[in-house]
Amino acid sequence: MATIRNEIRRLRFEHGEMTQQELAEKIKVTRQTVNAIELGKYFPSLEAAFRIASVFGKPLESVFHYSEEEQS
Amino acid sequence: MSFREKTAWISLISMGGIYGFYFWSLIASGRRTDAHAAGLLGTIIALVVVQTVLTIAVAIFDPNSAQAPRDERERLIDLKSARFAYSGLATAVAFAIFFAALPSPIIFGANSLLLILVVCELMRSGCQIIQYRRSA
Repeated sequence: MATIRNEIRRLRFEHGEMTQQELAEKIKVTRQTVNAIELGKYFPSLEAAFRIASVFGKPLESVFHYSEEEQS
Repeated sequence: MSFREKTAWISLISMGGIYGFYFWSLIASGRRTDAHAAGLLGTIIALVVVQTVLTIAVAIFDPNSAQAPRDERERLIDLKSARFAYSGLATAVAFAIFFAALPSPIIFGANSLLLILVVCELMRSGCQIIQYRRSA
């Protein structure tokens, strides 16, 4: 089963304890959507993912990690 | 809870309550067509007033969210909910066409179509709320 994890929570705290609301305003989504992305309950579009990475000044693969886990 | 989720709750509760009362009173009043017409007009006015007042009240408490355009997650939820409700609408219309062939008063046919629309709207709002809750 494929999973996409992200480092948004850690990156927010490394960037002056940025709140979800502040990040949401920068990437033009709602705070609830940022929360859903952080918790892995919603996978953002490629455009939103690039915007998030751009806010933190990181490449996309530093923010989002894709892994394909084998089911035993 | 986001502004869109609150409006979905307003839609679900107001439509369920007001149209529920309308259809219940329709059954209670029997075949009096004058009562049906007056009841329907009153129902539509009540629904518009209740939804408008509640939506304005919610928007006053959270004006920024109310003015913000839908984001990609909210648009996706809207699309999925509309698709779900459309499948219900298509099925119900197919049944309505079948039953239209049977002899029945015009008021019965009109109210059947209204019931279909109301149920599909309730399905849409319910589906929106479920998806908002799942991804909250």
